[in-house]
Formats: sequence, structure tokens, C-alpha cells
Amino acid sequence: MKPQSIVHLAGLFLLAVAGFILLLGGYLWLEMERVSAEMRVREARSARTEVVEGLAEIERRAKSTAQALALWDETRQQLSFTEYYTLWRDDRVRDAGMVSDNVEGVALYDKQGHIVAPARPDRPMLASLPGQAPLALLQQKNGGSHFSIFLPVHADPDGRILLGYVGVKFNFAAELRRARAYQFADLAHLRVTLAEGSSVNLAQAIDHLLFSTRPNPDLAAFHDLFRASLVRLVIAILFLLFLAAWLLGRLLVRPLRAFSDEIDNLREPGGSLPRKPARAAPLAVLELENVRRSFNDYQVRLSELHSNLEQNSRDFYDQARRDALTGAFNRRAFDEDWKALGEDRRLGRVALLLFDCDHFKAINDTYGHQVGDRVIQTIAGDLHAALRAADRLYRLGGDEFATILPEADARRAEMVAERCIEHVLGQDFRQYGMSEPTTISIGIALSEGEGITLHELQKHADLAMYTAKRPGSRKLVFYSENMGGMAALVGNKEISAVFQAIENPDLIELHYQSVMRLPLATREYVEALTRIRFEGELIGPGAIFPIVQARNLDMEFDLAVLRALDRDLAQGRLPAGLGVSVNLSAPSIVNTKVVDALADLIHAYPGRKIVAEITETALITQIEIASSNIRRLREAGCLVALDDFGSGYSSLRYLASMPVDLVKFDISMVRLLDSGDRRQQLMMEEITRLVVTAGYQMVAEGVETRELLDKVISLGFSHAQGFYFDRPLAPA
Amino acid sequence: MRLFLFLIMCCIGLTARAEPVELTLPSKLVAKAEYRKGDLDKPAVILLHGFLQTHEFPTIHSLVEGISSTGRTVLAPTLTLGVTHRQQSLACEAIHTHTLKEVGREIDAWVKWLKVRHNGPIIVLGHSFGSVEVLAYLSGSPDPAITRFIGVSIIEARLKLNAAETAKLIGEMRHAVKSGEPRVVTHQFSFCRKYQATPVSLLSYLEWTPRRVLEASARLPLPSLFIMGGHDDRLGSGWVDKLKTHNRVKIIPGANHFMDGEHEFDLLDAVLEELKAS
Repeated sequence: MKPQSIVHLAGLFLLAVAGFILLLGGYLWLEMERVSAEMRVREARSARTEVVEGLAEIERRAKSTAQALALWDETRQQLSFTEYYTLWRDDRVRDAGMVSDNVEGVALYDKQGHIVAPARPDRPMLASLPGQAPLALLQQKNGGSHFSIFLPVHADPDGRILLGYVGVKFNFAAELRRARAYQFADLAHLRVTLAEGSSVNLAQAIDHLLFSTRPNPDLAAFHDLFRASLVRLVIAILFLLFLAAWLLGRLLVRPLRAFSDEIDNLREPGGSLPRKPARAAPLAVLELENVRRSFNDYQVRLSELHSNLEQNSRDFYDQARRDALTGAFNRRAFDEDWKALGEDRRLGRVALLLFDCDHFKAINDTYGHQVGDRVIQTIAGDLHAALRAADRLYRLGGDEFATILPEADARRAEMVAERCIEHVLGQDFRQYGMSEPTTISIGIALSEGEGITLHELQKHADLAMYTAKRPGSRKLVFYSENMGGMAALVGNKEISAVFQAIENPDLIELHYQSVMRLPLATREYVEALTRIRFEGELIGPGAIFPIVQARNLDMEFDLAVLRALDRDLAQGRLPAGLGVSVNLSAPSIVNTKVVDALADLIHAYPGRKIVAEITETALITQIEIASSNIRRLREAGCLVALDDFGSGYSSLRYLASMPVDLVKFDISMVRLLDSGDRRQQLMMEEITRLVVTAGYQMVAEGVETRELLDKVISLGFSHAQGFYFDRPLAPA
Repeated sequence: MRLFLFLIMCCIGLTARAEPVELTLPSKLVAKAEYRKGDLDKPAVILLHGFLQTHEFPTIHSLVEGISSTGRTVLAPTLTLGVTHRQQSLACEAIHTHTLKEVGREIDAWVKWLKVRHNGPIIVLGHSFGSVEVLAYLSGSPDPAITRFIGVSIIEARLKLNAAETAKLIGEMRHAVKSGEPRVVTHQFSFCRKYQATPVSLLSYLEWTPRRVLEASARLPLPSLFIMGGHDDRLGSGWVDKLKTHNRVKIIPGANHFMDGEHEFDLLDAVLEELKAS
């Protein structure tokens, strides 16, 4: 049932009460009318009873009068000697006081019932008795009603000697009125319904009388008083009811409605209860005020609790979106903000900057996680300092940060990026026990409102950042269209190919490039270069290794490469006795499983020269483990080459302590020989002389011309590799 | 003596049987009386009530009780006065048709009725005007059985008129009787201020003037005694003295006309004493 307003309910209640009172008043009114009618009936009965009693009384009185006459000696005298009867009848009887003046007539009758003497005309009496006396008759005669009593007159007290009869006549109405006091019967207009001249026994007279009931003044007064009182009572109750309604409205309904409105206001955003009633009511209900006060207190406490919850929620929200280590926003916040920009809509002008700490994994592995964490904290602080206060810094991964610069053009983005790099470079990381400088790479993607999507912008930034991380690359790289070849880094297809190649090494297609022994330029071994044949396409190392590095798949991928090499060797795809080198990533050289796999391969092909090419990065990070594993491999018969020498943080200390057999100069170093810069050539000459002096054999990469070959030969390189000799080819 | 009489009345009275009796007169009227039968060898006593009274009048009634208590036969009739079975005192204003002669006949009838039941001497006692009525009867032809007369408080029929006026009234009544008009007259008579009677009736009583009473008493042929109250205020001045002139009169000191109170016994003593003499 639909809830009703208290105004309606209170009004309905008051109307119901008023209706009930009116009904009760009506019922009392009708009941009073019924009682009055019943009283009238009872009064009519009482009146009839009174008249009956009056009839009995007049009969008794008449009998008493007649009896006195009958026993009167003078009556017997007149019945014996009637000579003076009329004198006796007309005078003596009345003078002697035997009958009252109300007696209309007296007559004596002889034994036969005949009147002793004719009656006076003005006082007529029956000439003879109508029946056997005693008799009491009601007569209607001459327009008037009379009643007569007839009694026998005896000579002796025993009534044995009948002398005659005496008759006494009365005015019926007068006697009846005199008979008694009538409370109910009104005999003022008494009417006898007998026919003229007829008579009836007095006992049946009541049936021939018409009379009215005397108005009961007490009943009428009570009736009037009751009606007036009832009307006044109903009016008073209705007035009190209206007063109660007013009080109810003032005391309960209005405060309750106000209270309800106040509670309703709570539904509105920002709505709250007033701490006090709107205005102090002169008549306030204590309980209601208590409820209001309690509710207010409750609401205050609830508001406080809500505020606390909101604060906690904000804290939790913030904490959930903050990186605990750096205080920067985390990946979740980045994703949300990213979505807030509108993931699927076309962007306006915005710049996305991705930051990545160079060689962080090596730093982490070399100096421990605590140092790594401090490095990350320091970089984050530097980036915060470099960014504007309104710019948010996000930590996306271990060493990867990002910021979004709305409405930023290339110039401003570059300025911000350079400021970030400068802040990081200006930091002294030696305080953490590090001896190498720490740098960051920044990839920048811009949206100039040309209609690219957020997803595309993020992909562009990824490509730019990976480009920046490439050896020899500028640390601040804007995305450009020619980076499309690196799209594999972020393309679903290439990622899928890498993961599937790890699972299925058969997808790996090794191409081999010759490494020539100088100065005769005889092929001593070949370098296995990794490709992935996926869905009919050949994916090159430019797409593979950034993914491997970005996904930290170095160890897994190297194991897959070793299985592919084992496959090729087992299948005899390489000429017998031809050595083969394989690249191992820095994480792999410190990994026992990879080392074990390579050792197994060496043992599987004892007559074949196996060279493990490792980058200097591996030596930088965990040099003890790396050195131990290298020694183990060398003891197994494997040669170890330090790959890409000169492209990273080459250190003479490392160079001096490297347990390697070969130092493979990076192509950027080898090309210095063709630069024409004498100082660079001298530097190259000194480095090569130093390496040779240290006892290492040197391999020159990127030898593409005869002149360059001659130069490397002249510098003492023992091996050379490059397009001058051959391109990487799949085995036949 | 009084106490003795009282005790005798209480003891012997229980043995005397009161008997109401009726007597149908020649006029067909029935007269009533109280009859106490006593010793046959003692004279019977007839007690006659006063004017318009009955035998139940207290003076008579006490005498009936007293005399009957001595063993004497007592008869106390009520004169009919024209009313059959009369048992009430007749009012002065009643229509009186009775005459003194009729009264005498009723006394005679009762004497004869008594003689049938008691053949001894009869003493007649009258009270007040009853003494006059007995005196009137005795002045006529009384029954020989009557041997003595006692008149108690005999009263003259006073009219409160002087002799001339009385004579005039009597004359008027005689004329009325002769002419037959008026049929009924109303006049003061005795203690009645308005005595309503036929002229015949009234005349019969008026003719017994005080003088005639004195004369009749003086000529009584039998012994008589008049017992009078010493303080009887209903009597005319000098009446007792006049009575004493020719009669034996016994005065009861202090007694009134009705001899009531303690004088009731004085009366009885006097009566019984007189009865002893017979």
C-alpha cells in the first residue's frame, strides 16, 4: 500500500473521529427519541393504569358512600315509611352529610328494584335497577357521563332481611378527576365513547374512555436539556477536535513534515540536516525534538564518518594510483588518465613522453635491489622536479616512466625532455656506490591533432623510446615515420611470433654470417643470427630483440636459439668442422640453465668450435657470476667473445679482467676507421693495441670494403666480419 | 363497696350471658334490645335509654352490666323511633315521626315480652328523657307486672321558652296536626337545637311539659325513686327541688347528667340499693 502523508493520515484520523462523534451524537439523539417514545408509551400505560385505579377508587368511594347510606338507620326508616322520602332524599341526606355535594342524586328502591319515588327532574335516577345489585354503572345520558352505584339495604347486619336498594349517582368525570392525583393521565378533556342512553359496568368503563396523556414536563425538560446538551457537547467536542487538529499540526505534523523535508534534503547532493530546528517552536514535542536532535547528531557523525570515508577513499584511491616506491602515479592511474583523454577518440594536441632508465636491470643485478630502488627514486624525483607542477609523472614499470603533456608541441615536449635528462645527468649516483653514470632514454610521441588515436600515440612513444635505447642513439627521440620497421616492438604479430618461437624453436630460422680469420681471410666460423619465420614472414632481429628485452625474455629466447642451433647442427646444415658463434644476452650468461644448455651443445659436438658472444653489459652487471660461467664454458672448450665492444660503458677495468677470448668491436667503433677523423683513428689504434696487449683476439664487425679490411688487419684484428665477405644466409 | 361491686361485676358478669334480642312490633318495625337473663326469683329490670339514644348508651350499658352482675334479669331495649332494626342514635335533624304514645306502646310490648320470660315483678328504670317516657307510659295503663320505677337524671322537656311561648307553640302544633300543614317542623327541643319532626311527633313530646312530669311523678301508683346528679347542668333551674317536693330523690354528689366516671358506681350502688328494696 502506498504510504500516505502524515497530513492526510492525521486529517483522515480527525475526520474519522469527527464522523464517529457525529455518528455517536446521532445515535444518542435517536436513542433519546426512542427512549422518549418508549417513555410516552409507558406514560400512556401509566395513564391508563392511573385511570383504572381512579375508576376503582371512585367505585370504592361510591360504594363507601352507598354503604354508609345502606347502613344508616334513616335509610331503613325511609324504606319503611316513605311519607317523607323526598324530604329525606333531597335535604336530609345532604344535611346529615351522608353524601357530598358531588353526588348528583340519591334514590331508594324497593325490594323489586323500583324507585321509591320518582326522581327530581334535575337529578334523574334510573327508575329501576338494571340488574342485580350491587351494581356500578357508567352511563351516558343527556350529553354527560355519570356513574351510579346501587347497593342493597338490609334490616339486619347479617344481610338476611332485604329492605330495598340505595342508589347514588355521581358526575363521572368530576369524580374520576377527584379520585386521585394523576401524574400521567390528562382528564381535562375526558370523553366517554358510550352511546347516548347506554351504560356499561364500571369495570369495563376503561375501554370506553378517551383521554390524553399528560405531557411529562420533567421528560420534556430532560429531552430538551439532553438535546441542547448533546448539541453543545458535539459542538464542544468538534471544537476540541479542531483544537486537537491544530495542536496535532503544530506539535506533530508540522515538525514531522519539517523533519521529513530536512531528511528529504539529505537526498539532494550536498544536502545536510540543519544542526538546529529552523525556528524554535513555542510548543515542541520533547520526543520529536529528541529524535531530531538524535538524528542530527547521527547525521553529523554520519557526515564525519562519510568525510572520513571519503578521505580514506581518496587516500585509498590515491594510494591505489600511486607508486609506493617513488610517489609517482602508477600504471593504473596512467590507464585511467589515458582513458580520460579518450582512448578511442581523435586526440587534439598532446605529447606523450616515455622515460626508461638505461641498463637499469644491469644496475639492479649489479648493485642490488636496494640500490636499484634508490636509483629509481632518484630518477623519479628528478623527473618530478623537471616537470611542471600540473604534469603528472607515471611509473609504468620497473624503470619505465611516462608523462602526458596536454596542448604541448614538439618544442615544448623536447624542452621538457631535455630538462628531465639534464636533471638525471646532474644527479650524483655515486652516493649509492655506483661507479657508472645513470642515464635515461626518452621516447616522445606527438599528436598535432592529425587524428591519431591514443593507442597509436602510445605505440609511437614506445617505438621512439626503444629507438632511443638503441646503442648509439640519441637519448631523446621523437617518433618519426621511418620507425615503422620497429613496429614489431609493439605489434601484436611480432610479439606473438617471439612468444611462439620460445615455445617452438622450429620457428627460429638461423642465418649464418662468416667470421673470417685474418689476415688470410679464411672462414673460421660463422655467427648464428636469429630470424623468426612466422606466418610466412621473416621477422628480423630489429624487431625481435627489442621485444625480448622489453619483455625480459632474454634467457628463454636464448635457450630457444640454442635449441635451434642444435637442430641445425644435428641436421648437418653447417659444414663439418665449421665453428659457430651464438649470441647470449647478459641475463643468459649469468643463468645456469643457459650455460648448462650451451655446455651440453659443446659436449654434443666436440669437434666443432663454439663461440659464445656476450655483451659487455653482462660483465658490468654480475661480473662474478658471469666470469664464473665464462670460465666454465671456456673449460668446456668454448670460446667467449665480448660483443659490441665500444657501444656501451666499456671500462678498462672490465677489459683487463674480462675472461674472454675475443673482443668483438662494435660496428660503430670499426666505422671510426673510415671517418677520416685522425683523432678517432688514433684512439682506435690505441684501443686495439691495448686489447691486443691484454692478450685478446679482436674481431671487427661491419667490414664492408677492402680498405676497411686492410685497416683492421693493420690494427691487428684477428678476425673480421661484414658484408665484404658475405651476408647472413640461411643454410642450404 | 365500689371495689366489691367491681369485683362482683367482673366475676359474675362472666356468667351472665348477653343476648341481643329483637321484637317485631305491630307496626312491622323490628325493635332490638339486649337481654340478660338472671334469677327468676329476683325482679327483672327494664332499662330505657335517653332521648334518641340506644341501649348501648354508656350510662345504660354500665347499668346493664352492673345490675345483671347481681343476678337480676335485665332487658335494655332500643326504641325504634320509627326505624326498624334501629341500632344508631337518631340525629336531631332526622325526620322524626315517632310519638310518645308509640314509645309507650313499645315499652309495653317489651314488658310483655319480658313477662313471657320472667314472670316476676319488673322494675323499670329510665335515664334522662327515657324517665319521662317511662313516666308517660306508667301514667297511662301500665302492665301490672311493673312494681317499681327508678328515674335517673329525669329531665324536663325544656323548650327554652317561657310558659306563654310554650303554650303558643303547642297551640301551633295542634293546629298543624289538625290542618295537616306543615308536614315537618323544625324547632328547638330538649338538647336538639334543630329538632325536625312531624307536628304530631313534636306535639306528643311538647305536651309533656315539666309541670306535667312533676304531676305525673307525684301521682305514680307504685314506688319510685329519682336519682339525680349533684352537678347535672342539663337540668332547668330548681328542677331537682321541684322533683323533691313529691318524690323520693337521691342525689349523687358531683355526678353529672350521665353519671359517668366514678359516679357510675355511685349510680349503680343507688340503683342496687333501690332494687333490694323491691
